[in-house]
Amino acid sequence: MNDCADIQELLGRWLDGELGPSESQAVRSHVDSCHECGEVRRRLGKLQLTLHSELANEAARIEFMPFWREVQRRINLKRPWYADLIDLVRDQVTAPRIAWSVPIAIVLVLAALSLDFYLPGWRFGGPRNNFASVVSIDAYGRDVALLREDETKTTVIWLYQNQEGDNEAGEENSNSGPAF
Amino acid sequence: MELSDWELVKKCQAGEVNAFQELVSRYHQKVFMVILGLLRNREDALEVAQETFFRAYRKINGFQGGSSFYTWIYRIAVNISIDRQRHQKRNPLDFRESMDGVLEAQNEVAKDPFVDVHDRELREQLTKAINDLTPEHKAVIVLRTIEGLSYKDIGEILGCSEGTVMSRLHYARKKLQDKLSDFL
Repeated sequence: MNDCADIQELLGRWLDGELGPSESQAVRSHVDSCHECGEVRRRLGKLQLTLHSELANEAARIEFMPFWREVQRRINLKRPWYADLIDLVRDQVTAPRIAWSVPIAIVLVLAALSLDFYLPGWRFGGPRNNFASVVSIDAYGRDVALLREDETKTTVIWLYQNQEGDNEAGEENSNSGPAF
Repeated sequence: MELSDWELVKKCQAGEVNAFQELVSRYHQKVFMVILGLLRNREDALEVAQETFFRAYRKINGFQGGSSFYTWIYRIAVNISIDRQRHQKRNPLDFRESMDGVLEAQNEVAKDPFVDVHDRELREQLTKAINDLTPEHKAVIVLRTIEGLSYKDIGEILGCSEGTVMSRLHYARKKLQDKLSDFL
């Protein structure tokens, strides 16, 4: 505890009166007997005094009545309708709130997107009528197509020959796809 | 008999502008000191101090006495000052002009024959060293220096914990001591 580095860590808090009685006593007795720590204490005191006197000298030059008249002028000034809105936003939108809102927004978006997984009947934008999928099952152009109709819960499995697989030139035909 | 701050606030809430004038007269110099400590420019500090009291007047009905009036008014002052500083950092030209203003003010002080050269140099260096601190570090050192506020009050004003106030103060003082070691 009596190491100079430890004491100098506590000096600021000691000068500010933020140490408990036992720590305070330990710092005081060390500073009184240690030239180096006494010097740090003197420098901290001078720093504080210089800053305070500089600001106090400037503040003493302010005359109250002109200061108050300007405050009063602002109070009596008719403000545009949006000024209150800007003030409200400025008060409410703070850095910590923005910092928290970003992860919260991400979590909400992910939750909304995964709602379909946990609640199978729930859909974005009303019921989807048809669901189709085409899978190639071999290298000869034979494909299987699945067509699902939600309302009647009907699934059609369609096995067919893909013309594109047989003939690269028959592009127009292949674009038309299977005739569901 | 002098009314307490809270009694004056209640009168303000009832619409008595004179009560608010009394509050302004009590705190205008201290609020100005806090802002000047943060902005280091007299004209800006004066303007922000007036804006602080104007905003306080507009919000006075929302003040419920959960904290002391001076904590509340300092919080408004510090928030406006920090916003202003960030704006100055985004606009380097404005910031340079404000620095010029500080140096001019220092030269005016230098004309005073009673001001010691060494002290004047110390003040100039102090201004530069404080300008190098972040707004948050500046705020703790200014609030502690001017009013001798407790760490708890400073934490309330800045919206942070006492531990954060303690570490910021320690860092700011160390930085200032290092930069001013030849002048202290």
